Amino acid sequence: MKSKEHPAPASTPGLAQIKREREAHQEHEMELLVGYLLLTGVILSILLVLTGMTWEYVRSGSLHLNYLIAGMNFFQFLVDDVRAILTPALIGPRAFVNLGIAALLFTPYIRVVSSMLFFAVAEKNWKYTAFTAFVGLVLTYSLFLR
Amino acid sequence: MSITSPGVLFLVSIAAGFVGAMSGMGGGIVLIPALTLFGVNIKHAIAISIVSVIATSSGAASAYVRDGVTNLKVGMFLEMFTILGAIIGATVTLVSSDQPLFIAFGIVLLISWATLFIRKHHLTNYLQPADRFSRWLELRGSYYDHAEHKDIEYQGRRAWLGGPCMFGAGFIAGLLGIGAGALKVLILDLAMGLPPKVSTTTSNLIIGVTALAGTSIYIAAGYVDPGLVAPVIVGVVAGAFVGTRLLKRLSNHAIRQFFLVVLLALGVEMILRGLGVIA
Repeated sequence: MKSKEHPAPASTPGLAQIKREREAHQEHEMELLVGYLLLTGVILSILLVLTGMTWEYVRSGSLHLNYLIAGMNFFQFLVDDVRAILTPALIGPRAFVNLGIAALLFTPYIRVVSSMLFFAVAEKNWKYTAFTAFVGLVLTYSLFLR
Repeated sequence: MSITSPGVLFLVSIAAGFVGAMSGMGGGIVLIPALTLFGVNIKHAIAISIVSVIATSSGAASAYVRDGVTNLKVGMFLEMFTILGAIIGATVTLVSSDQPLFIAFGIVLLISWATLFIRKHHLTNYLQPADRFSRWLELRGSYYDHAEHKDIEYQGRRAWLGGPCMFGAGFIAGLLGIGAGALKVLILDLAMGLPPKVSTTTSNLIIGVTALAGTSIYIAAGYVDPGLVAPVIVGVVAGAFVGTRLLKRLSNHAIRQFFLVVLLALGVEMILRGLGVIA
């Protein structure tokens, strides 16, 4: 993609104008995508955590849910948790709280990955595709740590 | 660590989110001293706080991004530096003993506090000539300013300086479990020459990803206790939500100044605890 610092020659003001407008339009689409992703992630996460906490409080009269995520990385944690939600015997307050926390952690992660796809597919901006891919790779690696 | 009642954690977190929003310092910087006062070990407090930072920053960022004030390219370029800083910072915390963490936290709190009083340079023209690297990064942008009723155009500058500085801000964020928003805003403002609104909103976007990078280290080390994190996330978000809305309506700055004095006291208290002057 050409830099905005070097507008097209004056002989084609129409084309330059169209290019600028298209860029502005794409930028706004990306803002909406990122904005709504973040909003959905946070609301979903809070709702799931609240559901788990309320369930625990109704069941036991306390909010004590002490347990640690130990010896597993984030992706194992997520897989275990989705399994718990899908298995009737394992559904409970903890499964909801865990899923809420997982949704929260996934929110910035998905934001980075979808920005990368947007830069690659819609904008064909390879510079920023590479930058976001780097961020995505580092995050993926660190979330696989155990 | 001492078993703190989740009900107490919930109330402390609401207060932390509220004071953080009212003072403009962010939730984590209030939450961690408060948690340690209630007997939570400082490393556990840091791990709990950094998870809640993802929630508050993503919540705030969502609105700013949709408004078109946040500069996504500036944010995504600088995130490359902050995540590496956060991973290294969190690793240092894991191997550190508690006392230096108290001292580091107190010092960072006091510095962040002081930055609130730095007179930000309000330029009339944010389209200053930029270096080649910053132009190559396409750091030009514009947003509609509702207060001034006009489009403000700007050109991000000195990206070569902003990047390495952001590594440092990310390091502090991962080390201490905070957003380190005050430092990030300072870098965007002074080094990269962005308008104040773009600086604060873009800093918010970067904070979420940075906090996730730090969180991944604390999860792998087994420091994230979902039973304690749950009430804290909900509490901090609720407190910040109320605080932000109240702040918009307040014309009286006396209340804000009161909270700033509270923060100053917390910073001094952390340093004294780190030095072993008080238990």
